[in-house]
Amino acid sequence: MTRRRALLALAAGALACTYTLSAAPQTAAAPEWLVTRSDVGRPGGQLVVIERAEPRTLNPVTAVDAPSKEVIARTTADLIHFDRETQQPQPALARSWTVSPDGRHFTLSLRHGIRFSDGEPFDADDVLFSFRVYQDEKVGSPQRDQLIVGEKPIAVRKIDPYTVQVDLAEPYAVGERLFDSLAMLPRHLLERPYTEGRLPQVWGLGTPPQALAGLGPFRLREHVAGQRMVLERNPFYWKTDRAGNHLPYLDRLVFTFVPSEDAQAVRFQSGEADVTTRLSAANFDVLFRDGGGRNYDLLDLGPGLDYTFLFFNQNSVAADAPAPVARTRAWFRQLAFRQAVSLAIDREAIVRLVYKGRAAPLWGHVPPGNKLWVNRTLVRPPRSVEQARARLRMAGFSWNAAGMLMDRDGQPVAFTIVTNTGNTERNQIATIIQDDLRQLGIAVSVATLELRALLDRLLNTHDYEACVLGLGGSDGDPFNEMNVWLSSGGTHLWNPGQPRPGTTWEAEIDTLMRRQLVIRDTQERKRLYDRVQALVAENLPIISLVSPNVLVGVTKGLGNLRPTIFDHHALWNVEELFWRGRPSGAAR
Amino acid sequence: MPAVRYLLVRIGHGLLVLLGVSLLSFLLAAAAPGTFADELRLDPRVSPETIAAMQARYGVNRPIAEQYFLWLRSIGRGEFGFSVIYNGPVGPLLWPRVRNTLLLAVPATILAWLIAIPIGAWAAAGRGGWLDRLTIAATTVVVGIPEIVLGVGLLLIAVRTGYFPTGGMTSLDFDELGAWEKMRDVLSHFFLPVAALALISLPVLVRHVRASLVEVLRSPFIQAARATGVPERRLLFRHALRVGVNPLISLVGLSVAGLLSASLVIETIMSWPGLGPFMLDAVMARDLHVVVAAVICSTVLLIAGNLCADGLLYLADPRIRIGRFP
Amino acid sequence: MRRARKGALAALGVLYLSAICAGFLAPYDPAAQDRDLAFSPPSRLHVLGTDGFGRDQFSRLLYGARISLLAGPLGAAISIAGALLLGGAAGFFGGWIDSLIMRAAELFLAVPWFYLLFAVRMMMPLRVEPAQAFLMILSLVALVGWARPARLIRGVVLSARTRDYVVAARSLGASNVHLLRKHVLPQVTGVVSTQAALLAPQYILAEATLSFFGLGVGEPVPSWGNMLTVLQRYDVLSSYWWMFMPAAALVTTILLYSMLAETVHDWPAVR
Repeated sequence: MTRRRALLALAAGALACTYTLSAAPQTAAAPEWLVTRSDVGRPGGQLVVIERAEPRTLNPVTAVDAPSKEVIARTTADLIHFDRETQQPQPALARSWTVSPDGRHFTLSLRHGIRFSDGEPFDADDVLFSFRVYQDEKVGSPQRDQLIVGEKPIAVRKIDPYTVQVDLAEPYAVGERLFDSLAMLPRHLLERPYTEGRLPQVWGLGTPPQALAGLGPFRLREHVAGQRMVLERNPFYWKTDRAGNHLPYLDRLVFTFVPSEDAQAVRFQSGEADVTTRLSAANFDVLFRDGGGRNYDLLDLGPGLDYTFLFFNQNSVAADAPAPVARTRAWFRQLAFRQAVSLAIDREAIVRLVYKGRAAPLWGHVPPGNKLWVNRTLVRPPRSVEQARARLRMAGFSWNAAGMLMDRDGQPVAFTIVTNTGNTERNQIATIIQDDLRQLGIAVSVATLELRALLDRLLNTHDYEACVLGLGGSDGDPFNEMNVWLSSGGTHLWNPGQPRPGTTWEAEIDTLMRRQLVIRDTQERKRLYDRVQALVAENLPIISLVSPNVLVGVTKGLGNLRPTIFDHHALWNVEELFWRGRPSGAAR
Repeated sequence: MPAVRYLLVRIGHGLLVLLGVSLLSFLLAAAAPGTFADELRLDPRVSPETIAAMQARYGVNRPIAEQYFLWLRSIGRGEFGFSVIYNGPVGPLLWPRVRNTLLLAVPATILAWLIAIPIGAWAAAGRGGWLDRLTIAATTVVVGIPEIVLGVGLLLIAVRTGYFPTGGMTSLDFDELGAWEKMRDVLSHFFLPVAALALISLPVLVRHVRASLVEVLRSPFIQAARATGVPERRLLFRHALRVGVNPLISLVGLSVAGLLSASLVIETIMSWPGLGPFMLDAVMARDLHVVVAAVICSTVLLIAGNLCADGLLYLADPRIRIGRFP
Repeated sequence: MRRARKGALAALGVLYLSAICAGFLAPYDPAAQDRDLAFSPPSRLHVLGTDGFGRDQFSRLLYGARISLLAGPLGAAISIAGALLLGGAAGFFGGWIDSLIMRAAELFLAVPWFYLLFAVRMMMPLRVEPAQAFLMILSLVALVGWARPARLIRGVVLSARTRDYVVAARSLGASNVHLLRKHVLPQVTGVVSTQAALLAPQYILAEATLSFFGLGVGEPVPSWGNMLTVLQRYDVLSSYWWMFMPAAALVTTILLYSMLAETVHDWPAVR
């Protein structure tokens, strides 16, 4: 009797075992979600975001324009992501990682059980595939350059299905930043087009949503040509909040395209959109003033990462260049001349008139908004026309009876400032500088050119005299601007692509920039970059003028909103955003 | 039949004009400095080599003659060119936008004409009187305001009154609306842009209607008709208008084409997904095939408009119909 | 009508005179920036207010008149001259001349001439006398702009020359010139004066488009066109009403010209 019962029990046990084992999930372990530390919110609602233009593609490999990148960033995920508020690397698709002591090897351990937005599993093969695609010369992704360290492309190896190893040719200061915003691609969808050589052509605008997949909080639901792109919640997203709710909270994220800046302000004001991040200072003030009965918040986040500057053409002159060109170039190459110009410019007026006070004057190129890297010890000489005149006098300039500035040979000093047409602020800055320099007796004319025509002059023909331009954005780390400060760099605007540094200070900057790129000690890097900033402020290859504040408008009632000056100002943590009170977003 | 032959000849001419326009556009485009990849040149993270490779891959630095033949071949294949910035054929990008622009342009033209004819006629009839003076003054004021200011002004009205949406073509929840509501939604979005376009075209039309009718009202046969007791209103609309319609017909031919340039500004400001902003963006981004395709579209509309106008002229003026003139 | 004509002529004279004597009449240097008074409304200090840099609008209006009062009529005149020539020939001679010219008109209307402006900008040195360059560019634009008025003129000429009395006159041996002068051209004056009144302000405002290519009048030189483009900014349009003054000046000028044109129009009736 007992034996039969024992046999029955054994059979039942065996049956139970087989049953449970066969019912176990395909993957080896349970999914490992990332648990966020933000407030617990409620699901539901839609958020309408104003975008200045329609994205041109949904292909993360080839996207170059900002709108495409902004939308793609909401549908894709990276291995290691920098928290935009704390600027510290956080685990993303990689649940943990280790770095070798020399900083050249990263071992990333991927989360288990993650799926793409179409339900397919994610593992190391996708990571390998992604890196291969980004680094392939034939595909020509703009991100390829960022994956070259020590002049060699980084090497990525698969250790096991959930571990990858990344090897760099030399230590890389920014290390983990390599992985930030590098979208991981679905091998199951893109490998075929890649081997057939048509990867750049896929995932364009007409692609049906079913043909796309990503690891971001949202996935494409609908694209209405010329008007909006609607993203819906990704049910397979790998983050949850503390209470175990799956993120994102929002049902839908809508990007609506409004090409004109003034129309953007109107659209936001009417309540047809919830988020606008590109308000000009003037429109900000109008919205502020018109705010009676308003249900939106206008946030001035302080100076951002952009910096606007004036620079002179310091390319060396060809031997057969006409005399006037050689003469003007000689003025521009004199430090005293540039110093005088910098002293005469009324930066406070620029802040007040162009930005209505919502900007920070600059004397060095790193704006105060870049808290981690700005050199606070730089001298900030107040505006002084007398000192400017003194500098000019010492450099051999003089004034004629009419008050016009003449150089050593008695030629009147006059030059043209160019800037691009699309940007009203830069045009206004040029007009202010024009008037300021009039007080020094310099006759400045202002020419505006369409952007590509301008770039052609600046970078190809070098046929210009002075220019007002702006740079910035990204994350503020100096590694992003290597090509600006290296004398051989393509964006070394005043004298690009030098085979050898033309001046001693440029040579020093070259050395400093190269060194800071391979050191992992942040304090040492800061010290080196401080010195670069000091050299730039002393030698004035660019005359830094102003850094505009980041101005954002958001409908009231959005929870977990943590706006920062880093991209994307309001949406970088879009998966955590939720509506307090109302279940839905924009009115219509 | 001579009419059919005439039509065929005109269509033949039209094709020649199209070829000429496309060729000239290509040649002129070669004059514009820069390429589509230049957007990246100010990004310090991208190397000049990558940019050069991108340009080489899309063949934008090839000689213009070669590019032109490649484009013709693409037309033959039905793609209407390849957009370098969208990385796909131009056709599917273009057609919805052409449709959207026509959706604005045609009603705006009709509206403008419907308003212009009576106003112009009454102004002509009461020449020198208060209505005439007011008409001239009002049309001059409208002409004196830049189109973009008009557009922003209308947006201002939209946001202040809340009666109209501030741009776009359809609302966010368009798909969930019923058929009738969908139509109402599109109508509410299209009211302001059409009003703007009609307003912009009115001065030209009103002034020409008025000028032409003033001319006609002076002629002997009108005096005669008036003497025989024909009422003023019938005189104006039945007799004078029919004779004075000649320059107006030529205007109709030019109307739609002229509207396309005005619509560029209005569509941009009102975020209407039409041809205008699309083409402007392509010009700024140096996407050659898109620009040429858009130009071809407007040329076709222009030629069609002129053809219709010439046809109407033929019908309206019996003297022209007689054929060869001495 | 006569009184109105005299009045219009006198008013235009005053306008042109003030533009010429702008240096004398203007209270301030049009480029002088009073940065503490940016966008200030009309006051005793600044009769028509100031712009975004604190520059006196009244002075800028006077100086701007120099360029705009020349640019508008100049552009209109050039376009209409071309249109009269070509449109008139097309309508008068008919046949293959008509075909050729009308097809050319279609070509000119369709081709994107803005590309030509890129080329012009590239060929020009960066530093040019702003007003001169602008007028040169405008003339170029006006030259290219013959096509639209040409089509209108052609239509009128076509029907004018088929009128019975013209046919009759021709059969009596009248020469082409006589026919043109006596019978056809008077019919055209209506269209011409209307076009002139419409083209002139368009050319003044065309500066906005030209500035896009960097071909407008450069800062700090004012013109009514560039003074009006600032109105496209939402904040300016909704807050600073005095910035509309150049539009008032423009409208007044065109009205005065229209009134003059009316009397020209009357001329054939005084037969």
